[in-house]
Amino acid sequence: MNTTGIPLKEPAVSAAAGDTEHLERAYIDASTRLPVLMFYTSAVAWLILGTLLAGLVSFKLHSPDLLGNVSFLTWGRLRPAHMNVLVYGWASMAGMGTAVWLMARLCRSALRFPLLLVAGAAFWNVGVLIGVGAILLGDSTGYQWLEFPHYVAVILFISYTLMASWAVLMFRHRRGDQIYISQWYLLGAFLWFPWLYAAGQLMLFVVPVQGVLQAAVGWWYANNLLFLWFGAIALGTAYYMIPKVIGRPVYSYHLATIGFWSYALFSSWTGMTRLVGGPFPAWMVTASIAATILTMIPVATVGLNHHMTMQGYFPLLRYSPTLRFTIFGAMSYTVFSVVGVLISLRSVARYVNFTQASIAYSHLGLYAFFTMVIFGAMYYIVPRLVGREWRYASLIKLHFWASAYGIGLMTLMLLAGGFLQGADTQNPALPFSESIETVLPYLRGRSLAGILLTASHFIFAYHFALMLLGLGRTATVPTFLNPLDAEPSGGH
Amino acid sequence: MKGLAPLFLGIFGTFAFSWIGLTVIPNWQIGHLNPQSDEEGTDIYPQPQSGMFERGARVYAANGCIYCHSQQVRADYAADDIERKWGDRRSAPRDYIFDRPVFLGKMRMGQDLANIGARAPAPEESPSPAGVASPAAAPAKQATAAGSPSAAPANSPSSARSPGTAPATSAPQSSPSGSPAASTSPPPGQRTGVASPSPGQMANATPGGSSPVAPTAQTPAAPWPIQTEGLPPMYSAAWHHVHLYSPRSINLDSNMPSYRFLYQKRRITGERSSDALQLSASDAPPAGWEVVPSYDAKCLVAYLMSLNQSHPVKDVRSIGGAAAPSPSPAAPVAPAAGSPAPAK
Amino acid sequence: MDYGEQADVLQVHAAVQREKREPRVGAEPLSIWLIAIYGLAIFFGGAYLGRYSGNFMNGGLDPMGVPPPPKKAVAGGPGGEQVELSPRDRGKKIFAANCQTCHQANGLGVPGQYPPLAGSEFTNGGSRRMGMIVLKGLQGPVTVKGQQYGTAVMQPWDKTLTDQKIADVMTYERSEWGNNASPVTAEQISALRKELASHPESFTEHDILAAPDEDIPGGPAPGGAPPAPGEAAKPAAPPKP
Repeated sequence: MNTTGIPLKEPAVSAAAGDTEHLERAYIDASTRLPVLMFYTSAVAWLILGTLLAGLVSFKLHSPDLLGNVSFLTWGRLRPAHMNVLVYGWASMAGMGTAVWLMARLCRSALRFPLLLVAGAAFWNVGVLIGVGAILLGDSTGYQWLEFPHYVAVILFISYTLMASWAVLMFRHRRGDQIYISQWYLLGAFLWFPWLYAAGQLMLFVVPVQGVLQAAVGWWYANNLLFLWFGAIALGTAYYMIPKVIGRPVYSYHLATIGFWSYALFSSWTGMTRLVGGPFPAWMVTASIAATILTMIPVATVGLNHHMTMQGYFPLLRYSPTLRFTIFGAMSYTVFSVVGVLISLRSVARYVNFTQASIAYSHLGLYAFFTMVIFGAMYYIVPRLVGREWRYASLIKLHFWASAYGIGLMTLMLLAGGFLQGADTQNPALPFSESIETVLPYLRGRSLAGILLTASHFIFAYHFALMLLGLGRTATVPTFLNPLDAEPSGGH
Repeated sequence: MKGLAPLFLGIFGTFAFSWIGLTVIPNWQIGHLNPQSDEEGTDIYPQPQSGMFERGARVYAANGCIYCHSQQVRADYAADDIERKWGDRRSAPRDYIFDRPVFLGKMRMGQDLANIGARAPAPEESPSPAGVASPAAAPAKQATAAGSPSAAPANSPSSARSPGTAPATSAPQSSPSGSPAASTSPPPGQRTGVASPSPGQMANATPGGSSPVAPTAQTPAAPWPIQTEGLPPMYSAAWHHVHLYSPRSINLDSNMPSYRFLYQKRRITGERSSDALQLSASDAPPAGWEVVPSYDAKCLVAYLMSLNQSHPVKDVRSIGGAAAPSPSPAAPVAPAAGSPAPAK
Repeated sequence: MDYGEQADVLQVHAAVQREKREPRVGAEPLSIWLIAIYGLAIFFGGAYLGRYSGNFMNGGLDPMGVPPPPKKAVAGGPGGEQVELSPRDRGKKIFAANCQTCHQANGLGVPGQYPPLAGSEFTNGGSRRMGMIVLKGLQGPVTVKGQQYGTAVMQPWDKTLTDQKIADVMTYERSEWGNNASPVTAEQISALRKELASHPESFTEHDILAAPDEDIPGGPAPGGAPPAPGEAAKPAAPPKP
């Protein structure tokens, strides 16, 4: 494989029996088809539901009488419902589906025990469904990010055990002696999630800790979920997709090692930055803020690694959907981390705590970083599962730009609105309602961004449905974003 | 990296490090606090909640109040929460030891509620719907009984109050409608309750009451919160009901959702119920109908009225100048001297 | 794995065909700039951790170890140790809380009932007489500034106010409303209190006038030591009926 300049080359002739690597990969893909598609289909369904709920939440915040006075549509219930659907429904399932496919590919072993995964996914769906219903009907636990009632937690736990057992078995039967970077992240994610979830459930519900420690445990859990579950999956995916699509090795193994371990070490301590100023021993909050500063180490490392890998290949962004989404996500990781440092410093948190800025931060992490990387992965993986190419390049482009502008606008609106809201609150000469009046136009702007995101997700869901129904293109050439410019060859 | 073992150890180790550091060690430090008490073993703070208050907390959780309201007061050097009179000291871990779940909150689209019960007017002033134990007698967090007793600023609506007024029970008060300072209507929502009592008012001030917070030389009398005509006194139980039923009748710019599903509209049978909400304008039910709170609404309001962190704790310095609930030996006040509240 | 037997694998789809090989890792060394970034991050993170950890062992709530003093003069109530108020300011509060009802905020009293403090010979004179009145109270008729007062009784304050508070309120009264007399310290009052320890409650005007019109010894010389207890009992005959 020689790749000089822009690596577009002729596709290989079909079905050469001697090319075992191709065959092996095809076999692996075929074996992953059912579980991964099941994960993805569920995920997209939850994405649509979650986005609709999110739109309602956003609009109701500045138009509170919209669909008001209905108990299961009250804002205080819709908001946790939307969040849990997107976190445990969309993000977790899409992440798990991607991780399953990646694990199979990287372990170079066909997917064994698919029923474990299928059962796991089914149970998970049931759990999320019951959980959302419970929240809307008034059975939320009151802990942020853990609003599902305990019976749902049991269901999720059982389903996860099924899936984790699969992951461990896959890993044990892997071939090859080197463990690739993505596998570190994915193994980490698969182990960290159940430990986190178990610790959170135990310390909050089974053997509850006293008083303010509940909030500390809750936010330790939430931030760690963001970093050690979602972030790890996203980074692992990016580490696979970027070198895979451009055909070049990852720049440096040493950087990758430092990046992984510093990420694991420091990101896990950042939980208390959500509680700056609260009734806690000062050292807890300071440790979290210091850890956030130290997360600049993995950010710089991973960023450099990706950048140097991409060096010279940025023009490919014009053509490859996967690359575009993945690079957007990887860059957002940097932005997300920097914003995180800024808003947790005590002098800034004084203003920004309790404002919309913290929502901006969460969405940067969960959407701009994680979701965009997963979109990229789905654009890569789905054709390999259904044997067709994506049908409309225009829809992919619309999806990308609507998402990019949507999340960009949303972040800007919420950060700006949050800072202004905070400035008003810290001016005791102003009545409190003044801060709400200040932030209201920004909330409307955020609703506008939400419309963009909703459109983007509906487009994607439609496109995905077409693929599921076998209506994709039958072609040897992948769906490039700007096909007319491209040479009539692959590289994807 | 070769080998599963070092990878697994590292993954486990980093998790354990963070888990121990951020949850186990703090649990060892502040996870087993007891309520504080004074030398005689009385004046225990905080006290566990029960009954209606506990159910109210569940209603609070179920309806997602924490997504807009926080319940933590930050230190004076860290923020302006105390300047906003949301408390007279920062919140301490000890305040929350009996809370489950703990509602510290992460967003303030609405005010901080840590001391919302402390900002309620005196029980005689606030007609609490029947069935709710008066917050004074309830196992509220504060061990002392009455809230701020002395001449609470009167509001002309008091005389126009609907039959919802519960008859006053305890200590005689200067009758609100007769108070000479009524006309100036100082901001009643202030934590102090007593703004600037004129000498005449001091003369009829309740002797020996636990001193209300001394009005301080802080920001000049802010024009807010404004007590609207026709509404129950700010932060009283009746006010909370109206606020939950129709937030925009109290503050037009509010974007709080209305919780009408917690209330029932029904025909008045016989006499108008003492629970009935005092609604006005477009919210008011047609003649012959009344709006009464459901049990969940009453529990929620009882819970809100119990939120009170004004009791001093040893771990934290009180800034706002609240006197210790047990009268300090330094200044027991002889009746002739009037209340210890200094006049401006 | 016998690939040959899997039917669908024979139609290896084009996507897999054209794929690049699975990702590999290069081995570029660390850049020196990156190490510099690490150093910066560790430095700032560590510095922050060191400075703002407060009282780690006790789980202290304040990042600097002790709570900094409040920035604004948030007036503490009866326990106001938060702000440094001058004795005059403290005295003003005590006056407002205790004395104002009778002697009025302007210090002019009520004719016939409560003597004025403004321009009064007792207030402006030696602190001994004034101290005696404040500590033990006064009953019976008294003439102040040529006017007679006698219908009201002044209560003793020795049991209700501490030495410091009496000293502060006297300092305030002696420098307000045009008065210009010496300030009073807590030590002086303490000494006077000891002198009068055996005296029953109120004095009368006669007792007061019998006492010398002098300052209580051991006045507030800046940096001066409080008087030795023995000196307080001056030879001037304390009024003891």
